[in-house]
Amino acid sequence: MTTRWWVPFAFLAPALVGLFVFRFAPIVIALVGSLFATSIRGDTFFVGLKNYAEVFSDAAFWSSIRVTLLFNLIINPLQIFCALCLALLVRRPARFMDALRASFLLPMTVSIALTAILWNIMLDPTLGPVNGFLRWLGVAAQPFFRSGEQALGTLIMVATWKGAGYWMVFLLAGLLAIPKDVDEASAIDGAEPWNRFRYVTLPLMRRPLAFVLVADTAANFLLFAPVYIITNGGPNGATQLLMFEAYQAEFAYLNHGRSLAISSIILAIILVIALVELRLFRQQDGDA
Amino acid sequence: MVMRRTLATRLWHALRMTALVLVATIVLLPLYWLILSSFRPADHIFRHASTFSIETLVPFQLTLENYRNIWAGGFPRALFNSLFISFTTVVLGVLFNSMAGFAFAQFEFPFKKTLFAAVLLSFMMPFESIVIPLYTLMRGLGWTNTYAALILPEVAGGLVIFLFRQFFASIPREIYEAARIDGASWWRIYMHMTMPLSGPTIATASLMMFIHQWDAFFWPLVAASSADLAVVQVAIARNMTLEQANWGALFASASAAVLVALVPFLALQRYYIRVVTVQTDR
Repeated sequence: MTTRWWVPFAFLAPALVGLFVFRFAPIVIALVGSLFATSIRGDTFFVGLKNYAEVFSDAAFWSSIRVTLLFNLIINPLQIFCALCLALLVRRPARFMDALRASFLLPMTVSIALTAILWNIMLDPTLGPVNGFLRWLGVAAQPFFRSGEQALGTLIMVATWKGAGYWMVFLLAGLLAIPKDVDEASAIDGAEPWNRFRYVTLPLMRRPLAFVLVADTAANFLLFAPVYIITNGGPNGATQLLMFEAYQAEFAYLNHGRSLAISSIILAIILVIALVELRLFRQQDGDA
Repeated sequence: MVMRRTLATRLWHALRMTALVLVATIVLLPLYWLILSSFRPADHIFRHASTFSIETLVPFQLTLENYRNIWAGGFPRALFNSLFISFTTVVLGVLFNSMAGFAFAQFEFPFKKTLFAAVLLSFMMPFESIVIPLYTLMRGLGWTNTYAALILPEVAGGLVIFLFRQFFASIPREIYEAARIDGASWWRIYMHMTMPLSGPTIATASLMMFIHQWDAFFWPLVAASSADLAVVQVAIARNMTLEQANWGALFASASAAVLVALVPFLALQRYYIRVVTVQTDR
């Protein structure tokens, strides 16, 4: 029985229509809409690149770009490092290991919004138990989210609390897939633990590491809920991540052209990241 | 020599267990405190927080009052909204994404590579990046403040299509041949042969989509501003900003939201770890 030409497309249609309408059409809407402005009376008119010119000459926008890049340059390597350490620690079976693995994965059930709410209370300068504990230890209370210097770092710690165990699973998967004899052979050869990790384990982990890098960046790049719930971008713009900047343009300043222009810029940055990461993936396939 | 090796091994083991217990404490303690506090009388919650003592971690007085209060308020409605949205997304998502995964694994067709690249690209593109133009689209369609706006955009997902494709590609094509010769349609084969083989992948995809929808915050915040359509996450955040005094309700509703997500997590996490282990490694 031969397969008629339209059969594959019938199977694809529902999901692909969904992707095109709800993922790719909005890209076109952002690009086109960013060329228009809305007057006070609600008329829409073409303004060319004026929205972009305004965004690019705005110090607040550049500050937001700087915060977003700084945030990502720290949080992604940090989360992957923590996840890899955890994966190495839970790799070998031992007593209670299943329970420990599951407990590291547990923050997966706590949404990012709830993570923000929980840690906002935990780290409250006056009410929070963390400062209560620090005082008990004899350490001075810390302002955390209330200080311009600590806010971004605190945000990174809180997001890592939620993320590290989640990414651990993917890296653990990679570790467990390494054939036992490869590892044993290098051990018998008398290689030092560090060298074994560096020259045997790590090269075999490149695919899962690349996968986690892609997925982790996608998850962190546009962090929104904690900024909205805890800091509102503050203090003094210290946590004004790009997504919050776009949100404010749309819903606080009702500047539709600006929010779509920022959305388009976000999409362009993501495209660049995706292309770089795709190259990374392909190189690995070449090696494998 | 042998002695030294054993001592080093033991030392290493002790170090490793200490590190693990330390991390587990950092992960679990905040959750323990959250859930414990939800059972405390509302005016007791912070009494032992800012000054650390044994009572910070061990409760001397417990009550269900906070839960009774949220049950009488708007929370059950938000609970229903979130559950309805999550279940519908899982049912539609498993069906549609597995169909697409089946097509990519089973058939040759024009533009296959391009379409698959589009699927991968959609997975690399964070959903948040298109939230504002998607809102523009929904407003144009008149869909804001509808269940459709909260469900439909999350049904098709690049990662889920990818997971199904990876699993389906591992099924040898020969097993379908006899059925094809007997005249079975591809739909019949997909429904009666492929899907029944796919339990763990279906479980994993369901858990992923359920948790993703249950956790959703940004899109529901934007797309459904009406109180009737508030989902759990948004309702809790509003509760926090509007009535900051009502700590009992905040802790109880937050704990309830965590506990609901815990049920599918505990039921399905072993499939999750297994499927992730196998599929992402190919």
